[in-house]
Amino acid sequence: MTKFSETQLAEFNRLVARYPEGKQKSALLPVLHLAQDSFGGWLSSETMDYVAELLNITPIEVYEVATFYSMYNLKPVGKYMFEVCQTGPCMLRGSDDIVAYIGEKLGIKPGETTADGMFTLKTVECLGACGYAPMMQLGKNYREHLTKEKVDSIIDECRKNAASNN
Amino acid sequence: MGVKLLLEKAHVEGIRSYEVYRREGGYRSVEKAIKTMSPEEIVEEVKKSGLRGRGGAGFPAGMKWSFIAKPEGVPRHLVCNADESEPGTFKDRYLMENIPHLLIEGLIVSSFALGSHDTYIYIRGEYAWIVEILEQAIGEAKANGFLGKNILGSGFDCEIHVQRGAGAYICGEETALIESLEGKRGNPRIKPPFPAIQGVWMRPTVVNNVETLSAIVPIINMGGDEYAKIGIGKSTGTKLISACGNINKPGVYEIDMTISVEDFIYSDEYCGGIANGKRLKACIPGGSSVPILPANLLLKTAKGETRYMNYESLSDGGFATGTMMGSGGFIVLDEDQCVVKNTYTFARFYRHESCGQCSPCREGTGWMEKLLYRLEKGQGKSSDIDLLWDIQRKIEGNTICPLGDAASWPVAAAIRHFRDEFEWHVTHAAEAQTRNYGLAHYADPIHVPVG
Repeated sequence: MTKFSETQLAEFNRLVARYPEGKQKSALLPVLHLAQDSFGGWLSSETMDYVAELLNITPIEVYEVATFYSMYNLKPVGKYMFEVCQTGPCMLRGSDDIVAYIGEKLGIKPGETTADGMFTLKTVECLGACGYAPMMQLGKNYREHLTKEKVDSIIDECRKNAASNN
Repeated sequence: MGVKLLLEKAHVEGIRSYEVYRREGGYRSVEKAIKTMSPEEIVEEVKKSGLRGRGGAGFPAGMKWSFIAKPEGVPRHLVCNADESEPGTFKDRYLMENIPHLLIEGLIVSSFALGSHDTYIYIRGEYAWIVEILEQAIGEAKANGFLGKNILGSGFDCEIHVQRGAGAYICGEETALIESLEGKRGNPRIKPPFPAIQGVWMRPTVVNNVETLSAIVPIINMGGDEYAKIGIGKSTGTKLISACGNINKPGVYEIDMTISVEDFIYSDEYCGGIANGKRLKACIPGGSSVPILPANLLLKTAKGETRYMNYESLSDGGFATGTMMGSGGFIVLDEDQCVVKNTYTFARFYRHESCGQCSPCREGTGWMEKLLYRLEKGQGKSSDIDLLWDIQRKIEGNTICPLGDAASWPVAAAIRHFRDEFEWHVTHAAEAQTRNYGLAHYADPIHVPVG
């Protein structure tokens, strides 16, 4: 059953309280982030329906938003998602090579997830780190000035973190 | 060393914390504004300063403020646009990460001037860690009486809320941002009504960029007239430039808009010259949507005059031989770069970011991307170049919001100045897959790097 915990509900209430009375729909984007973080890194239709119910809006109002914004995942993704920027400024500093290297190393193409569900490789458009290119987003943080060696160590770091969490 | 108004204290140890920021003279503008000035006087100072919106459009900020409607009993809102997403631009992030209290201070003064009791910072969703930095700064400001109820005993109440977006360039357009803030898709609204009349929740709203709102602090501290003395002509004050691409020192620089483009690129204080000893081929000086210029037209105008880093000089020559200041996202291409490929990545970006409301943009951006992909891969025809030109002309000016223009301009400028490189991709298709076109005739052959 999809349901926020007590702490998650408290955060939900904090988010809704920022908007005027009757304008609780304004909290939809932040609440979807909260839901995605809380329920396995993606938004199932069950999760979206739950959010609609909590905000007292119709499910379609949630679906149309969830499908519009690129940060909401509408299908399951790996435990670690490498979102590599490929727009002009990153391309000029070699982002194509980084995407190819990660793909080769993990045996997946952009948009795919490794069979063990550990890694997803995704190409994304400009993330506002042009001066620190090439770069990728990993979870809530940016990894910048990427090199092949740096990619190796990030992959090792993820594997180690996953092993120590199990 | 130019004058620094925004980044002067950005590298003081611990400046992210309230204590250090305050010790360095922070929040003086709030005290001055709230204790000694009326909201109208603040708007007047901002008008006098000549400050132009730093998000990209360059609209005079004081004038924008003066448009806000004040119907009886209807709350007004200030919204800070921190949805920085124009490729090449990362200056707002730099400000918020390094000296978050400057933005909060600017927001408090601006909220007081506009009568906004609930002010929102709409920040791009990917800047997740910056949300925490801002919320910490807001908490500290509140604990010290600069936010919350009855600020400094003035009777003025104000709260600042931070809302994360979720990945959509279009939400940097102010009406799309407002829609997104209301929990909807980021589809720009048809104007009028302008946000100053009906903005968020149909209430009068002012949307300003992070850098614009941060600049309010020095304007109030030094006075609008003094601020206007910095810079030149209608380019008053300082501007943050985020420099990237093939340069030795990518980063965020504060300039006073009297420096030449050449000095900005080659001096050690700024970009430090072209990386790896290469030569300058081209530059997109104001974010991905502004026209690309070949080296010769970048460093000197068509009239042979030195080009400077300011609104007027960069746009000298119009789109035929000039470009725009835009957001200050300064993207440099060295001699090894392919203009067709770079333009292709921008076309892909705009196709990805089109909201889909207007047919010319929805269909046209995808079409341009496909044609550029084909040309770049050596599968194009010469007529594709004319078709590209035709499509971009039919998008420009035919859409609800400026995303259509933003998608058209880079394509138009690339063809205008680098048509030979496009043709070469057709006539030398195989060769174009193994090497780049190089400098050809548009490079600056006489430039001798400084130092």
